[in-house]
Amino acid sequence: MINFYQLIPEIFILALILITLCFGLLNKDRSIAINTIGFFILTLILINFGKDFYISTDLSLNTINLFVLSKIILSIGSIVFILLSKRPLKNENLYRYEYILFILFAILGSFVLISSDNFLTAFIGLELQSLSLYLMAAFNTKNLKSNEAGIKYFSLGALSSGFLLFGISMIYYDTGSFYMQNLNNFTTISEIGLSLVLISLFFKVSAAPFHIWTPDVYEGSPTISTLFFASLPKFASLIFLFRVYQDLNISGIQSLNYIFQIVCAISLLVGVYGAITQKVIKRLLAFSSINHIGFMLLGIMSYQFMSEGTLFFYLIIYLITTFGIFAVLLNLRTVEGEFTKISQLNGLRFTSNSKSISMLVFFFSLAGIPPFAGFFAKFFILSASITDGFFFLSIVAVLSSVIAAFYYLTIIKNMFFNKSEIEPLDDNNKIGKVIFISFGLIITLFFFYPDPLINLVDSLFK
Amino acid sequence: MSFPILSLLILTPIIGALTLSLSSSAQLKNKTIFLSGLWITTGEFLLSLLLPIFYDKTKNGYQFTEYHTWFDKFDINYYVGVDGVSIPLILLTTFLVPICLLCSLNSIQNRAKEFVIYFLLLESFIIGVFVSIDLVIFYVFFEAVLIPMFLIIGIWGGENRLYATFKFFLYTLAGSVLMLLAIIYIISKVKSGNIELISDFTFDQQIELILFLCFFASFAVKVPMFPFHTWLPDAHVQAPTSGSVILAGVLLKLGAYGFIRLSLPFFEYASIYFQPMIFALSCVAIVYTSIVALRQLDMKKMIAYSSVAHMGFVTIGIFTLTQDGINGAYFQMISHGIVSAALFLIVGVVYERHHTRMISDYSGVTNVMPKYSFFFMIFMLSSVGLPGTSGFVGEFLVIMSTISVSVYLTFFTAIGVILGASYMLLLYKNVNFGDLKSDIKQLADLSNIEIFYFSCLAFLTMLLGIYPKLLFEMINKSISMSIL
Repeated sequence: MINFYQLIPEIFILALILITLCFGLLNKDRSIAINTIGFFILTLILINFGKDFYISTDLSLNTINLFVLSKIILSIGSIVFILLSKRPLKNENLYRYEYILFILFAILGSFVLISSDNFLTAFIGLELQSLSLYLMAAFNTKNLKSNEAGIKYFSLGALSSGFLLFGISMIYYDTGSFYMQNLNNFTTISEIGLSLVLISLFFKVSAAPFHIWTPDVYEGSPTISTLFFASLPKFASLIFLFRVYQDLNISGIQSLNYIFQIVCAISLLVGVYGAITQKVIKRLLAFSSINHIGFMLLGIMSYQFMSEGTLFFYLIIYLITTFGIFAVLLNLRTVEGEFTKISQLNGLRFTSNSKSISMLVFFFSLAGIPPFAGFFAKFFILSASITDGFFFLSIVAVLSSVIAAFYYLTIIKNMFFNKSEIEPLDDNNKIGKVIFISFGLIITLFFFYPDPLINLVDSLFK
Repeated sequence: MSFPILSLLILTPIIGALTLSLSSSAQLKNKTIFLSGLWITTGEFLLSLLLPIFYDKTKNGYQFTEYHTWFDKFDINYYVGVDGVSIPLILLTTFLVPICLLCSLNSIQNRAKEFVIYFLLLESFIIGVFVSIDLVIFYVFFEAVLIPMFLIIGIWGGENRLYATFKFFLYTLAGSVLMLLAIIYIISKVKSGNIELISDFTFDQQIELILFLCFFASFAVKVPMFPFHTWLPDAHVQAPTSGSVILAGVLLKLGAYGFIRLSLPFFEYASIYFQPMIFALSCVAIVYTSIVALRQLDMKKMIAYSSVAHMGFVTIGIFTLTQDGINGAYFQMISHGIVSAALFLIVGVVYERHHTRMISDYSGVTNVMPKYSFFFMIFMLSSVGLPGTSGFVGEFLVIMSTISVSVYLTFFTAIGVILGASYMLLLYKNVNFGDLKSDIKQLADLSNIEIFYFSCLAFLTMLLGIYPKLLFEMINKSISMSIL
């Protein structure tokens, strides 16, 4: 008998989708309001009753907390994203209510993905998520680059889904089950199958060497879609990757463990190596995100220190920073359109105080330099990895962050030292401004007073 | 003592910077901004004078301590306190920052508000390094110092400033992150970041060597020691005068301070094990950079290389691991902080008037700027190490303590003294004496403000040279604690 009780968050989103479908036809503006309120209610429901949904299951308390916290983060992220998306979509003449639907479907897929303990459900969640993402990449149909990004993302994504299905079928062939908890003693075939599953997940979180799509898709898609790719679906895939790592006890399987470590090291290095020479902001952010994925994989592997806490701390800080950076970027326009090149940031210091200082905070935080929260995010990941004995990876990680500091500094140099060459338009996007200023403050405050966040992640995962 | 003087020292400049940043810049004149900055930093200096007055020299351990938990879960705390080793360096910092602002009154015209703000932040971060007795906040302040310095060199520097400021930032960061790894390892072993607790902890010998090298990477870049020193001439040459002053005066001391405060007490075995390596590197630094300094055409570059040589004395003194050696090294640190800061100001004075730093562009300056030449002579002689000036005491003690280690070491350090005298005298001769060049005839002599801060610095140099006990009283006890 299926227990519908634990599906309430998913059903709630499905209801939102249906409402949006009905009302969106009549009034676009209302669909944004409806969904903001809807996700707000969902957040409240999850905060208050989240745990009760899963109590009847035989999941451990840790896993339940993982579900609830990830879903809360996802739905808060959705609120911020939906609020942010209106103005940029209008600017690009893309303001159609379908866009909100794609967001909803992607979030629904992410919800399903996070809480699935069955490979088939996970596949459905992942596909639901990915198909929306392909459409979001190609949403600017008049723009060639956007179409290119959509096609590239779709064809490569389809390939990775193929890997996933193939891996799942191999596991099924070997064990006769789709359930993750039934996988205990591995034979070679299911190891190979599992490695294929991992490859597909690495593709989704854009870990090197499965990252080739990332820079192109980031660059070509409308910036608001790039923000979405960089944040929420990646977060969900990463959580699922974490669950696979934990539930299947991959740290105990030598060969898969090697794959994890190698991918982690390559991501750290490829990310910084690729980013150094970039001239386009979104490509640089793509490579920098690959570097950060390396850190997150390190966080997934190191469990002893604060269990899931380190990973979540890092993820939350990273999400806030990403949202902040993109909120600034979305607020920067010239007559020709959005800012694309790094050189267009020249002299931002003289045209806008709040934007340049927020960017300074976000980039120093990404580089992990105190006094910003990014420092503690990296600090805890490194603490965890050293406690677990990953000395080599830790050294690679810190050295990569030194190189990373170089290109973050280059951006700050452009904003603070160089003279401005272009007249930016005053977009006067109030919501965006509120978001990046408050996120900048949060990033700074979490450094001085991180206890709330740490206690939160710590109390959830014992 | 319940009065939170150390937190106040850290917070005063930050609050000042915040107030300044909130005021609208359009209405404020540059002079008003600098004056308010001066008021804040002078107040800070007066506040820091309370430290030596109320410090109890007879007691061991840290005083004025403040303890606040920062993280509930981990033993990472806001734990500050001072002992004899940190107080003189704090005073040096609070003394030099107002001078930095004074000397930039005329030279910094654009974006004066930001300049003052960055200097205030820099001051509070540096003080933070000197007062922290928890490894994590030590690292945080140590690293945060980079941000304002990066901006100061990058915005107000010379024509090649971007290269210099990136090099400065990345060199220092690369060293620091290795230290971060070591810090994390230590905390995971000791379960605490408290410096006193870690000093009592004994590590595995092999691991201790690695940890020492990680700390060494960070401090050696900061000091800077021989193979890691190449960022320093670039940074000095490109930085504005005030940037050079604070860089030579205080930032270089962070590395040496780190050696005394962390490396020696944490890693007794490794300190002895790596003694020969550090002596070798320091000897090379002293002799090689002195020779390099001899051939420099640029005044700032010459003083920058001389800084490397002088800091070589400091590292030798520290790693003799004797009371005299470390006392001497510490004295040399303070003395170098005053003298090299003064020398960079000296260069800044003529650069501001004549817009060139090349030695060959100056000749016979003493004819038009007699007061300038007078102060130049005092600081030049102090840098050479003339008895009666502060430079003598440190060098003398360091050389004396090297005899107990090895005579060869004494030989090389003594050569360094001779070379130091030769390049400084050469610089002084070339700039001040000789024929009066026609294009420097119209150079104005020192203004009243310049005379004021040069006399302060000169007074301090002479005071420490004639009555060094003033400093030794303060540091003796604390240093004897750190080598036990």
